[in-house]
Amino acid sequence: MKRSQRVYERLAQAFPHEFKLAHGDEMLESGEAAMAHMAKRHGWSGMAALLADAAVRLPIEYMTEMRRDLRYAVRALIKSPGFALVGILSMGLAIGLTTNVYNSNWALLMRPMQGVSHASRLVMAEKPVSYFYVERYGEQKNVFAGVAAFQTAVPFNVRLPGEAEGKQQRIFGQLVSPDYFQVMGVDAERGRVLSPAMDRAGDAPTAVISDRFWRTRLGSRSDAVGLALRVNGQDVTIVGIAPIGFEGAFAAESAAELFVPVTVPATVAPELADDVLHRRNAREFLALAFLAPGVSLSQAESALDGTTRRLDVDDPSAPPQNDKARRVTLLPAGTRVPIPQELRGALEGFFGVLMSIVIVIACMNLGTMLMARGANRRKEFAIRMSVGASRFRLARQLMTEGMLLSLLGGLLGFGLAYVLSVLNAQLRQAVDAPGRPDLGVDWRAAVFAFAAALVCGVVLSVAPALSATKSELTPALKQGSAMQLPGYRRFGLRNVAMAAQLGGSLMLLLITGFVLLGFARGYQVQTNFDPKTMVLASVDPVRDGETPEKAFDFFARLPQRLKDSGKFSSIALTTLPPFATVDADESEPMMVDDPQAATRVQEPAIKEFVGAGYFRALDEPMLSGREFNDGDERRLMEPVPVNTTRMLPVIINETAAKKLFGGTNTIGKHLKDRSRGYEVVGVVHDLKSGMGIKQAIVYVALSRDDFARPPASGITILARTRAGVDGAAAVRDVVSGLDPKLVPFHVETLSDQLAMSRRGIRSAMWTYGGIGGFGLILSAIGLAGVTAYAVAQRKREIGIRMALGANKGQVLRLVLREGITLIAVGTVLGFAGAVSVSKALGAVTSVLADALAMGTNDPGLLVGAPALLAALALLACYVPARGAVRIDPLKALRME
Amino acid sequence: MTKKQAERFLPLKPQWFHILLALAGEEQHGYGIMQEVLERTMGKVRLWPATLYGSLKRMIEEDLIEESSKRPRPELDDARRRYYGLTLLGREVLDAECERLKSLVHAIQTKRRMVTE
Repeated sequence: MKRSQRVYERLAQAFPHEFKLAHGDEMLESGEAAMAHMAKRHGWSGMAALLADAAVRLPIEYMTEMRRDLRYAVRALIKSPGFALVGILSMGLAIGLTTNVYNSNWALLMRPMQGVSHASRLVMAEKPVSYFYVERYGEQKNVFAGVAAFQTAVPFNVRLPGEAEGKQQRIFGQLVSPDYFQVMGVDAERGRVLSPAMDRAGDAPTAVISDRFWRTRLGSRSDAVGLALRVNGQDVTIVGIAPIGFEGAFAAESAAELFVPVTVPATVAPELADDVLHRRNAREFLALAFLAPGVSLSQAESALDGTTRRLDVDDPSAPPQNDKARRVTLLPAGTRVPIPQELRGALEGFFGVLMSIVIVIACMNLGTMLMARGANRRKEFAIRMSVGASRFRLARQLMTEGMLLSLLGGLLGFGLAYVLSVLNAQLRQAVDAPGRPDLGVDWRAAVFAFAAALVCGVVLSVAPALSATKSELTPALKQGSAMQLPGYRRFGLRNVAMAAQLGGSLMLLLITGFVLLGFARGYQVQTNFDPKTMVLASVDPVRDGETPEKAFDFFARLPQRLKDSGKFSSIALTTLPPFATVDADESEPMMVDDPQAATRVQEPAIKEFVGAGYFRALDEPMLSGREFNDGDERRLMEPVPVNTTRMLPVIINETAAKKLFGGTNTIGKHLKDRSRGYEVVGVVHDLKSGMGIKQAIVYVALSRDDFARPPASGITILARTRAGVDGAAAVRDVVSGLDPKLVPFHVETLSDQLAMSRRGIRSAMWTYGGIGGFGLILSAIGLAGVTAYAVAQRKREIGIRMALGANKGQVLRLVLREGITLIAVGTVLGFAGAVSVSKALGAVTSVLADALAMGTNDPGLLVGAPALLAALALLACYVPARGAVRIDPLKALRME
Repeated sequence: MTKKQAERFLPLKPQWFHILLALAGEEQHGYGIMQEVLERTMGKVRLWPATLYGSLKRMIEEDLIEESSKRPRPELDDARRRYYGLTLLGREVLDAECERLKSLVHAIQTKRRMVTE
């Protein structure tokens, strides 16, 4: 009985303050009386019913209180719509931006590939190796449960069933070993996947198509399995459809629509010509492996490295045995982007830092706003406390307001993230690149947004709630918001928060500025002519079904035909459109071939393949030597005897000349890479493109091999048109006149092509610029709020000063002084923070290092960003400070 | 207007009905209401303290009852107790609920007669 009484008392005491105030004593009294009665009549069961009633009622009462708080919060926010709008907008923008960043980057890096079982055990080698090597890797049964080989971003010219000749489309897919799908753990949605038992060399060519291919190109027709496609001019039968969302390994590089087994003849896939599958030095395949249970990535890497080293002994083109460098690097392959573990950390760190800064700034901003608002509502709180509201109740009320703002912000933020993701997707659709990831808003992003909002809501409202409700009743009732706080605290929470917020904003502005400037500079392209006058068109005769011999003949005659048409002033061929952005990762080591030299000079360089007259077409003068001419072209079209490689002429850019030869006497010198030798015939300026870090480029003359097996982008014709000529139509006419079977693709002017490549950069600029600008605006709002708060607090003091004869200038200075101190402290903090964060990020990741390095050296940004922030902050201080000047001393004094 | 307001509460929650009914005769304190309901229903309906005071609180907020300033004689009074009485709206709500129940009983009786005839 006594114990039950104690439990009842505890329960009664746990009821909300307001409830206890009204009915607490009575409830206790009648409860005790009822308990005595119940114990007598019903024993334990009666007492249990009494306790259960109190226990059930307790949460209901709290819910009622919360509902009331919420209603009150909604009313309070409606009463000050400006405050509510700014609060919701700033939280919404912060949460929206971070959710968008999370959604597009984080999820991309983390999300396991769709349709794949055991994605976490899939790994792939970073560098291509020969098919022969991949087969040897697969023999290590204790390390791998399976090893497959694949080539990604393989172009196929596909004519769909029922389409007319000359209507083929260029589709990107993968050339895979027949066990590829088993290794990946992918089952067919319809039909079957490829398998070693059913797809053997010599069988009729087969292929598996992606779900997207089936839906978009075949209109989801039910008889798709069994249909025959014309692939590169040959019949290929569709045997299966891959599951929804599966776009092959390394899908971020190129989403595959077609999976063709390596067992098809070379007529179907020219990549397989020259006995590629059996030549052990043909490093053209990526190895994809499924780790055996319990084997870690690093164990597998060591095992593969050992195997590769042993195999390299018999390969003269391999690095010497005393070269200790690791030969195989494995990457996790279960996501769209295979990212090395260490880089993943750096990327997550970068986004994490950026996102936290945005969220923290927004929180601090809303926090300072709530604090200022709380100070203005002191009188209201004092009245409520004097009629019996508890401090806890008022604090809870303020926290509810903060949470409501933040949750509404979260809702807005999620909407914003959704809109941004749709815009992003549209942007990607516009760029008809092989890789086209399709990303909606992930549920994880939604959870992230709301978790962020909730955490922010709690964190940002605790301090203001406690500070606003800590007041002496009598002075607060008398003076309201203008009451004097016990001692002015220079290092009070509010000022520290404000300085930190300013510092954070500057940091954000600088970091995003660094990245932006780096990108913008890097992708600045300067041509010596009007890019509208150059037409680009790509052709790929081999994949349009022609034999290599016919392709040689076509390319031998094409330039002359174009010239004869009289519509073009200069013509050149290349494998890559000019000024295309080439990833520094694609560089290969290039060595100076000089037997007499004491030391071996080796530099990473990017290889581009260009034909005769390329630099003339681009109006780029040669620095020394000559450019490729028709003589070179004719010579390089001649077949070479089997088992020999010919030395190819190359032109190198200024940077390559400096790095490899010290910049002097380069003509006639020899270079070599892992597969062949080169002779330098000319030196050209660095073309103003690519990341600003000077990249060594070696322009190799186009030869017979390139025409026999054009790369993914085909062979691109560059043609400068004469005035008033429709260049695109003219190129199409000439090509179809020479060979009606060929369909030129990617036909556009250079200016279109440049605009297209800039589009991605522009989106990055918008994102990062948006983040930086957002921080800037937020901190200005915050500072204005804080200054207005300070002015409201010191109204009486200012009144007295003015009554004693202080003039307007002096009052203004008084108010601005505090703001300026905060700005100065914030600037120093932000500057130091930005530089150290950029340096740290630059050190850990090469992805952003170039951009950051360019940005951090820019004096305009280093001086401009703090100046911009300071100017805006000053303005934000000045506006409310002017309110101080307008204080009427009489009114201010009368308030006492 | 007040009728419309009263109808908003119908059908009345059983414990609210009992509280209003208890207060219809005279002003009472919480424990008194509890006792009266128990006696009137011959022990069938018991308003537990938490439910009772929770309901009283809601009913005050809804303006169905109000705290009364009238107190009993000092020798019978307990300063901790609060006395409650019906408001005008409370009285109307009680009337409306009684009417509703009456018509319900009438309907039941009619049905019964039809069955027996």
